[in-house]
Amino acid sequence: MVKRFDCLKLLASWLDEHALTVTSRGGNAREWAYLRPQGANFHSLNMGTCMSFAVGLALAFPKRKVIAIDSDGSLLLDTSSLVTLADVNPPNLLALVFDNQAYANMGATATARGTDLAKMAQGAGVKKAATITSTEDFAAVVKPALAALELSFFVLKSESGRAQVKVDSRLIHGRPMLEHFISALLRHPDYQGKSSAGKD
Amino acid sequence: MEPDTIAKIIDTLKAERIDLVVTLPEEPTSPLTETIRRDPYFTSVTVASESNGISLCAGASLGGRRCIFVTGIAGLLVGTWSLAQMGVLYGIPVLIMASYRGDIGDRSGVSGAQLFMFQQLGEPMLNTLRIPYRVIKKKEDLEREIRDSHFACREYGTPLVLLLTGEVLW
Repeated sequence: MVKRFDCLKLLASWLDEHALTVTSRGGNAREWAYLRPQGANFHSLNMGTCMSFAVGLALAFPKRKVIAIDSDGSLLLDTSSLVTLADVNPPNLLALVFDNQAYANMGATATARGTDLAKMAQGAGVKKAATITSTEDFAAVVKPALAALELSFFVLKSESGRAQVKVDSRLIHGRPMLEHFISALLRHPDYQGKSSAGKD
Repeated sequence: MEPDTIAKIIDTLKAERIDLVVTLPEEPTSPLTETIRRDPYFTSVTVASESNGISLCAGASLGGRRCIFVTGIAGLLVGTWSLAQMGVLYGIPVLIMASYRGDIGDRSGVSGAQLFMFQQLGEPMLNTLRIPYRVIKKKEDLEREIRDSHFACREYGTPLVLLLTGEVLW
């Protein structure tokens, strides 16, 4: 089992300012916002929407790395997103799924008791998909994947619970988070829009 | 959908510099999406569920990529969760073109009960989600409606739906 915070801390240390990240809700968003408060981070995508949103962002920024930080509960809500992920096969996308096997906000409520999410991704057609169970393996596998021009999908078997971090909630929720994200996009050298997000 | 309609839609998408087309194949719009798939101008993505497609378009659109999601009324019903998130919560512009299955004039062979369900739920669902939409019945209106809707959805900051029916679709 990995501690999510330890893995995310390593990840934050590896990313340059131009990497784009998206997260699902809960601990993923809070811990990532704490560890990477700057840059283009879209936080707290609700259940089932994180992976496909990341695919779209990867298509908009084909020369930049996009990292999806999803969770088992979120992915399970829309497993068809794995088929879309495999079909689009964006080489600039790194997908991380923290799998604590629970809907953690409600305690020990099990998600997929015996389901292998990495094998599901493989079955959907994702060529590079694996399960990681230690921080050492995370460092050994994920850091090279960041540099590779290949879609990677890793399931991180993680401990329950979340790090006790203080985060400005405006960074992770709703319209204020969106405005923060758009501001980061506007500073991004590869942004295809011109004067503002979504406009000419 | 007739060839001149398909050509008009494709020409207008190109004029708007929309080059990412996301679809989940459905019968009434399949002649359009198949033509788009063969056109090298477009990046064509086929999704496995409509919710995927809406979320994907939202990510791409927010990233500055001009895109459209082509679906049907049934797809909008399936995609309500994503529409609510990307539209109501975040106000991300996503242009959607949907066949108006069930509209008066649909003689495509779908059972009457299904047609009535779509007719009864389609527009009220969009109104409930506060998503603007236009019903396009005439070919002569296509170019103007697509261009105006593309502009409006980005200016408003919302998904916006073009419902195709009448001589445009059937």
